[in-house]
Amino acid sequence: MVMVTVGLAAGTMILMAVLFTFILGWANRAFHVEIDPRIGKVIAALPGVNCGGCGFVGCGEYAEAIVLENTPVNKCTVGGMSCALALGDIMGVRVDVSVSLRPIVHCGARTVDRLGRSEYRGEMMCRTANLVADVQGCTYGCLGFGDCERECDYDAIHVIDGLATVDYGACVGCGACARVCPRNIITITPFRSNRILAVICSNHDAGKDVTKVCKVGCLGCRACSRISNLFVVENNLSTLNYAEYTEDRMTELVAASKRCPRHRLQFVGEGTGIVPVTMDDDRPDVVRADFKSTVDDTEWRG
Amino acid sequence: MTYITDIFLIAISAALINNFVLYYFVGICPFIGVSRNVDIAFGMGFAVTFVMTIAGSISWAITTLVLVPGAPFTRFIAGFFLDPGQAVQIDLTTLSYIVYIFAIASSVQFVEMYIRKFFPSLYKSFGVFLPLITTNCAILFACLTIMSHVAGVENPADVWGLSKALALSFFGGVGFTIAIVIMAGIREELDFCDVPECLQGAAITLIVAGILAMAFMGFTGVDSGLRVALTGG
Repeated sequence: MVMVTVGLAAGTMILMAVLFTFILGWANRAFHVEIDPRIGKVIAALPGVNCGGCGFVGCGEYAEAIVLENTPVNKCTVGGMSCALALGDIMGVRVDVSVSLRPIVHCGARTVDRLGRSEYRGEMMCRTANLVADVQGCTYGCLGFGDCERECDYDAIHVIDGLATVDYGACVGCGACARVCPRNIITITPFRSNRILAVICSNHDAGKDVTKVCKVGCLGCRACSRISNLFVVENNLSTLNYAEYTEDRMTELVAASKRCPRHRLQFVGEGTGIVPVTMDDDRPDVVRADFKSTVDDTEWRG
Repeated sequence: MTYITDIFLIAISAALINNFVLYYFVGICPFIGVSRNVDIAFGMGFAVTFVMTIAGSISWAITTLVLVPGAPFTRFIAGFFLDPGQAVQIDLTTLSYIVYIFAIASSVQFVEMYIRKFFPSLYKSFGVFLPLITTNCAILFACLTIMSHVAGVENPADVWGLSKALALSFFGGVGFTIAIVIMAGIREELDFCDVPECLQGAAITLIVAGILAMAFMGFTGVDSGLRVALTGG
């Protein structure tokens, strides 16, 4: 009886194993789907961080789009030029110059520069504060509650003195911050060089109204557009035409930035914003307490 | 009439009263893990319903044909070695867990290959969920519940047929979908709430799940009332 039970148990398992193996083996051949082998290669060449900076859900989707739908290979903001070249080799296409996309925060007002601020006791998020009137006078500028900071997967944007500031050394240009900003003051801009000139304000109000709410905002005075036609002033706000922006126009751009009465034309990019601490910095490895300086040697008089 | 009433009550019970997630607390990992977004939660619930129905019917067949004492297949094989009186006593229900997991994993594999070939859009929307629910405990729980109504039942009239097993597994999946979609809806709103720092993340999610389970306790006793109402006493 016991032997038969054990035998039957073992037999059942072996029979099921054989049966399922057979069925699955047959199904594998019968339901075989042809997949382009290049998809696997493209996935291997992509960084695999699934940031969505290319506009697709993840690296896998982008790889399928490259192979099956002939999507351009230079859309990966994380991999940059080297990744685009590797993908070009796999797909057999020539890679045009891939311009890196980086965010620019179009607001330059720190907390001290903002006027007309009221006490805000709601949720400390830009998305909710944006629904409330009079959190600050300026209805265009950075709110400084750091939705972008929380959204960033690369620790590349931080709120410093109430202003979102990009760390261009860490940024990969995935665009998460620009998507989350409720006031749409972060734009993803093509950086043709490491540093580019940008208009650091988003306020469309007339100059008189801007001076009431901000110490630094753009007045729409057209000083820049008189010097260079790259600047277009519409709705009291200067914008820079990046399609025409080239290195050989640099003299007029610099001249325009010097003429701006509110210093709103600033260079952004590597070395601006948050400057990362590098290993070369002359700092001691371990900071030890200096007891000499803490000894109180004040002489009491009187 | 009573048969249809039974099936109706099994369905109501599996979907609402004894909801797998909120009454028995099985299938918590996907309930917490993929309930961030209503659309994704709905996809997960749909996939679980799909697999649970298939796995439930397969495991009902295996239990009835092989595992229970006196099952046709077992009795037939044992008949070669033992006399008929002993052959009907052979009980293979100890194998249930391993056999069910085996059957679930294989059927999920098979279903995945099948829909990949013939329904590519469905395959795309299931995505990663289909292989992920291979080891979902809610599905094993459905199989074991079905087994408890097939094996070791004293009155032969109470043994479940395939239709009852199907009702339990399909509506168990529906109950899972209801629970996970409600949870996802709450969690989407939770993103805009000022949660104390010590409760952020998994902690507040589990607290919400507990409150949700208490709300579902309100269904307790509905089944007996329904039975009285439907059968008239």
